[in-house]
Amino acid sequence: MPVIHVRMDNRLIHGQILVSWNAEFKIDHIIVTNDKVAADPLQVTLLQAVAPMGARVSVLSIKDCVAYCNGNPQAEKENIFIIAKFPEDGLALVEEGLKMPVLNLGNQAFVRGSKKVSNTVYLTESGVKALKKLHEMGIRITCRMMPPDPDAEYWPALEKTLPEWAK
Amino acid sequence: MVGIVIVCHGEMADGMLDAARMIVGQQEGFVTVSLREADDVESLMERVAAAVDKVDTGDGILILVDVFGASPFNASARLAMQRDNIEVVSGVSLPMLLELAVQRDGQNLSQLVEVAREAGTSGIRTLSETLSKKPV
Repeated sequence: MPVIHVRMDNRLIHGQILVSWNAEFKIDHIIVTNDKVAADPLQVTLLQAVAPMGARVSVLSIKDCVAYCNGNPQAEKENIFIIAKFPEDGLALVEEGLKMPVLNLGNQAFVRGSKKVSNTVYLTESGVKALKKLHEMGIRITCRMMPPDPDAEYWPALEKTLPEWAK
Repeated sequence: MVGIVIVCHGEMADGMLDAARMIVGQQEGFVTVSLREADDVESLMERVAAAVDKVDTGDGILILVDVFGASPFNASARLAMQRDNIEVVSGVSLPMLLELAVQRDGQNLSQLVEVAREAGTSGIRTLSETLSKKPV
């Protein structure tokens, strides 16, 4: 299984990834995937510049990310850590054909229209709807900022916190 | 005078500036930005930009951040890539800050970057090496 972890984190590559998650897994390849980020040359340059030692960074559209993970022979040899920006990206990855047993929610900062779930997670209605679809497909939703955080199924907590959007 | 902005996780930037005050006194033209748990890079960028504007006298801005590649760095770097005369240095430490406070006057941005690098690097010393040095 080349894809070892799929995380939605709107801070993309940052301290928690470089230090904690990189120590937890032997990451060979970080794929940052979000169509808007992949189309922004400045962000692509910067993300590639902060690659941790021993890993490379690609910044790909959702479509290119799935094509790489499913079809590139190189991917079979790597431990791939995928970072997308929003839950909608996670759903798009699955709809595009990526197999993922678990989707981990990392940092989701406040954006216009979002509601608070925890100190580090704010979700929009469309984000919750995307997670609901993923949950109904049998994908386990977790919410781990750091590797030692519990990897319990997080959907019931979302349902309880934001029942108006989760129903 | 080059403006100095310190951007770190949690309370670190304010703590560092407070510690520096104990040694070199109150400094003008230093401002801090703190990354909070619920921040995203875009909102952090806006706060860094506001801090930069506050200390910008036209001589350039030196942004000091804690960890290379972490969000304070990423937000500062994105801003620096879009504007002229801003440099970002990671690994901010108290020795680095003290040296910058002392040497700031009359130095341009690229000179101050070297002051920061030298002070940050030479601030790491061990007691045993220091003690085993033979007197000259």
